[in-house]
Amino acid sequence: MTTIIDTIRKNRTQAVTLAALIVLFLLAIQGMETGDWIITVLRGLSVAAVTFLVASGFSLIFGLMDVLNLAHGTLFMIGAYVGWTAYVRPDTLLDLATPAALFFAGLLLLPLWDHLLSRVRLSHRAGRVLPWVVIVLGLAVLAFGFARYPTTGWDVSVYDKSPVVFGVQLDLGQLDLPKPTTADGGQLVLSMLSLLMGGGLLALGLAVFAMRNRGAMAAAARLPWRAVMIALVLVIIGIGFFLLNDALTAGLVQAGTTWRFLLAVVVATLVGAGLGALMESTLIRPLYARPIYQLMLTLGLGVIGREVVIALWGRTQMQMPKPALFNTVGKGCPAQTIFDAFANQCSTINFMGSRIRTYNEIFIFVIGVLVLVVVWFLLQRTRIGMIIRAGVQDHEMVEALGINVRQVFTFVFALGVGLAALGGVLAGPSMGVSDDMGESLLLSALIALAIGGLTSFPGAAAGSLLVGLLQQFIVKYGQIGIALPFLAQPFKPTPPLVPASTLLLMVIILLVMPNGLFGRKE
Amino acid sequence: MDNLLEVRDVHTFIGQFHILQGVTVNVPKGAITALLGRNGAGKTTTLKTILGLTPPRQGQVVLDGQEIQGRRTFDISAMGIGFVPDYRAIFRDLTVAENLQIAERKKGDLARRQELIFGLFPDLQRLIKLRGTQLSGGQQQMLAIARALVADNKLLLIDEPTEGLAPVIIEQMMAAILKLSADTTVLLVEQNFAVASQLAKHYVIIEEGRSVQRGAMPDLLKDEETIHRYLGAA
Repeated sequence: MTTIIDTIRKNRTQAVTLAALIVLFLLAIQGMETGDWIITVLRGLSVAAVTFLVASGFSLIFGLMDVLNLAHGTLFMIGAYVGWTAYVRPDTLLDLATPAALFFAGLLLLPLWDHLLSRVRLSHRAGRVLPWVVIVLGLAVLAFGFARYPTTGWDVSVYDKSPVVFGVQLDLGQLDLPKPTTADGGQLVLSMLSLLMGGGLLALGLAVFAMRNRGAMAAAARLPWRAVMIALVLVIIGIGFFLLNDALTAGLVQAGTTWRFLLAVVVATLVGAGLGALMESTLIRPLYARPIYQLMLTLGLGVIGREVVIALWGRTQMQMPKPALFNTVGKGCPAQTIFDAFANQCSTINFMGSRIRTYNEIFIFVIGVLVLVVVWFLLQRTRIGMIIRAGVQDHEMVEALGINVRQVFTFVFALGVGLAALGGVLAGPSMGVSDDMGESLLLSALIALAIGGLTSFPGAAAGSLLVGLLQQFIVKYGQIGIALPFLAQPFKPTPPLVPASTLLLMVIILLVMPNGLFGRKE
Repeated sequence: MDNLLEVRDVHTFIGQFHILQGVTVNVPKGAITALLGRNGAGKTTTLKTILGLTPPRQGQVVLDGQEIQGRRTFDISAMGIGFVPDYRAIFRDLTVAENLQIAERKKGDLARRQELIFGLFPDLQRLIKLRGTQLSGGQQQMLAIARALVADNKLLLIDEPTEGLAPVIIEQMMAAILKLSADTTVLLVEQNFAVASQLAKHYVIIEEGRSVQRGAMPDLLKDEETIHRYLGAA
């Protein structure tokens, strides 16, 4: 008992803040009927979960590397678009698998080049020009190869063939995929070889770059067989995907939306992680000592990413229908219990007089909690987590212990962006897929982090929770109105007050606790 | 003489400042060498230059006959150098146990060295579950040295181990450093000349970024003029 009192006394500000928030919450639910406030809380939790996925990744990256990744909202949106493609157009996804595998196989030759070049010394001038020449050549070869590879996509400029239409088709249960494109044997072999070679050239350019920076060094004694073997396996996988393309496409269409949604989630998260790793290792790494340039870079990447998405998928918002598991109406639906909901694949559940959507209000929240637990476990119970926690404080010391912090940086960047992309694909079915979906969410996430304490993982969760709940309460009060004593009419908050209210909450909390709820005093 | 580490005429810049302007340090195997000099002379930068935290622009750093300058810090450290920085750099959010585990380079390092570490610093065993924030200054210093002992290091770079500690703790720390130097070579930065002179066999004096004098500690003790000129101590 005394220890509890002691703890409260030591953390008086936290205790008072917590009490104030609880009182605020109780006041907020006073004005509503039970069913109303339960649904509002559930919606708040769901918004909080998506916000958390963006905020936690952002905060991991900022905590460890001091990089404010302003492209995080765009990467969230890209996750949704990639997920949409896997979900609605599995044929296009499979068509891209072969070029991707071949490209990465080429890229994996990097250690081999490193090994072969380790005894070569370059003159200063050659070192300045050569890597760029090789990289540009590599990109050209890649473009050449990719343009000749048969992929079946869509046409943004023709309405009948635009992505929007396929989304609607799937929603109506009449998905009609276009006939696969074919190419003759010679073209095909040529394009596959170019893709492999393009990747290889890119790797060569990077190897020359690295060589220029460190000068010639003693070579490792043995050839890097493992990388070469993995590259070979990737080539085989790529060819396998090509040979099985039709069968796999048919299989994915047959498998139904639930399985395809699972695939979409996995693919979007992996693509996000890959993009993150690529971004960190090529663009961010040279700028660690220059925060302002970094900021400009991530801001610019965000804008470019959005334009690329518009160019590839078009400007119109696309539908991403909910997977079958959460999409049945009638036939025992709305369900009375959560088990019935699963058994009948209901889209809604009746609970305390309100209808709860299984996807929006339950599934998204469950995934959010799952991610919270998994990342928490990763941070607290694994060696890499220990290294991350230590690196947040002092990455020079971690490096001085013999740990390759650069690899850890890349891993964390990949993890952070992967989480954002996961958030994007999860939000697709509930928010719709559009190019502006990332911006407002990044703002919410930043507010959540400011509230919770910028680099604190529990802080990201708590901040997201507060932001999500507050937003949804304001939305609900916009519908039913708040009875205020000095107003004759109930006050109805207008939609612009939704983000404004979270900013207000942030300002108040930062006035009381300048480091946020869980922030550390510096 | 068999030198484990040789720093040969290194020049190091931090930003545009030419901090080290020709530092040469030889660290003989199996003994403690002290880096002496006034505040801001460049002793800490010398340690950081060896580790590649502030890589040298000129000169060589040779460990066991192998040039290591220009390599990345983790690579240099993994060749067998342990670092105990002057600010101790205990990881606040990690427990004492985790602060030790993180220094493992191979699985089981800690288990193998446990006896040695807890023999030197019995207190740590008692504190094993506490977090870095909960330790006193002396305990943090013990942990910082213990952490450098977890992996199989040939050389320890120890920066100001007695700074800000109570006299009793200083004595404990000196005893521990003497004991561990039986199997590990040490390069020690120490402001407190009384401490340095009792621990070290060899010395190097650094003044304004240059190494100005080196030799055996007993000779320095006789040379009051040098002590006065460079160290300001009697």
